[in-house]
Amino acid sequence: MMTGNSVETHNLTVIYNKKPAIWNIDFTLPAGKIIGVMGPNGSGKSTLLKAIMGIIEPNIGYAKIFDKDLDDVRERVSYVPQRQSVDWDFPASVWDVVAMGRYARKGMLKRLSAEDKSIIEESLEKVNMTAFAQRQISQLSGGQQQRVFLARALAQQADIYFMDEPFVGVDAATEEAIINLLKSMRDQGKTLIVVHHDLHTAQDYFEWMVLLNTRLVRVGPVEDVFNQETLTETYGGTLTTLSKVASLLQEKSFPMRHK
Amino acid sequence: MNDIWIIITASLVAANAAILGSFLIMRRMAMVGDAISHAVLPGIVIAYFLTNSRASFPMLMGAAASGMIVTTFIQFFNKKVKLQNDASIGISYTFLFAVGIILISFFGSNVDLDQECVLYGEIAYVPIDTLFIGELNIGPRQFWILLTTLIIIVSAVIMAYRKLVLTTFDEAFASAIGINVVFWQYYLMAGVSLTTVVSFESVGAVLVIAFIAGPPATAYLLTHSFKRMIYLSILIGIVCSIIGYYTAVWLNGSIAGAISSVIGLVFAIVFAVDLFKRRQVSRQVTQTSN
Repeated sequence: MMTGNSVETHNLTVIYNKKPAIWNIDFTLPAGKIIGVMGPNGSGKSTLLKAIMGIIEPNIGYAKIFDKDLDDVRERVSYVPQRQSVDWDFPASVWDVVAMGRYARKGMLKRLSAEDKSIIEESLEKVNMTAFAQRQISQLSGGQQQRVFLARALAQQADIYFMDEPFVGVDAATEEAIINLLKSMRDQGKTLIVVHHDLHTAQDYFEWMVLLNTRLVRVGPVEDVFNQETLTETYGGTLTTLSKVASLLQEKSFPMRHK
Repeated sequence: MNDIWIIITASLVAANAAILGSFLIMRRMAMVGDAISHAVLPGIVIAYFLTNSRASFPMLMGAAASGMIVTTFIQFFNKKVKLQNDASIGISYTFLFAVGIILISFFGSNVDLDQECVLYGEIAYVPIDTLFIGELNIGPRQFWILLTTLIIIVSAVIMAYRKLVLTTFDEAFASAIGINVVFWQYYLMAGVSLTTVVSFESVGAVLVIAFIAGPPATAYLLTHSFKRMIYLSILIGIVCSIIGYYTAVWLNGSIAGAISSVIGLVFAIVFAVDLFKRRQVSRQVTQTSN
């Protein structure tokens, strides 16, 4: 099991059009855990991930991964972007996309070795997509697309994985498959940082949580930071979210769903 | 012999444009080719006035420079000003093209530069302008320029293939694994500038755009592999050049115009066949499910 810090941010601030997307984010996250990043729409969840990975240059502050500068640990970092962020009509097969996960390590010219190919096959197997290897990516369902993205990340063989809304628009079977996969990755000592918005499943999925609403609201183990007070603080006064919080707490005291 | 040279010239332009166009249309940037091909005008005019000659090299440099300027404008308006991509393209190139027109008209009509030629080119004159090594006629100047360009583009794309594909398909992921997305964008645009600049003299800006957008779009309908899409669009471009040339001869009309029309027709035919096939497949599916 990996110990120590996975991510450390200092005064991380990103400003879009004179409006802060994330403001003065300061935290330290442990390694080897499944960590949820939660907050309302537009609270800067994706921006936070992108700023940590250097996809967006922060206006102020910096982030460290495994106590090092990003450029020194690039090979250990993997990213699963939002599924809708790419054009799935791109002419490529499932295999082609998963192979992209190997590019980071192989450099850009070397041919894929037998080892690379077996890693790609293994990754496909872990997400149950072996049968679809030669399938055109435009012919996949939402859940299958998400699995392909996960397989690509697996093929990178990284130590820390940033995932942006991996559960959005996937079927129940895929959601369960993904969470099981994440748990088994965690058991191998990987760190998983997952943007998520479904309050109902949050407690089951995550061990740690970052509650975000442009500013950092809370960070810590789920049992410490996930309660009515912090959720109200995070989600503000909007009626729908407040009722969601209420129903959630009700559900907690009178469990209707059996696990 | 002249026929062969014209067809070879068109085919070389087609090959260059097909390779770059395949990337451009997948990046939804086909019209950037259009922008660059128009925006090179002020660069060419300025180079002409600075050197007072129509030598290729200074003009090429001027054109390449204004090609990069328009690319930078588009990038700037799109990323920094947050203007939509199409609006960024529209405002950037019309401005530069207009500046070029003003320059031409301002410096008088005695100038041996022709706006018409920039837009439509004159491929029929390609075989007349030949290169000599000593006494030996080694073929049209355009042929050698375009061949050199093709070698440059092919080797540049092969060397950067994975990076170009990755930044085309998934910019965020590419950036996360440490690829400089903006650099490769400019790299591709530099290739587009070079291709448009060396091509427009012979085939004109309009045919360059037709080659950039048409064959790759046709190939996109025919294959599910990006590599095959590139090969196919080169092939389609060449076939269209041949058919277009003989159509022009037959009709005694503009060669560039005929080739552009054939590119459009080929796309329409492939699209119709594709649509028909899909209908049949869905009919079979509904029949079997009934």
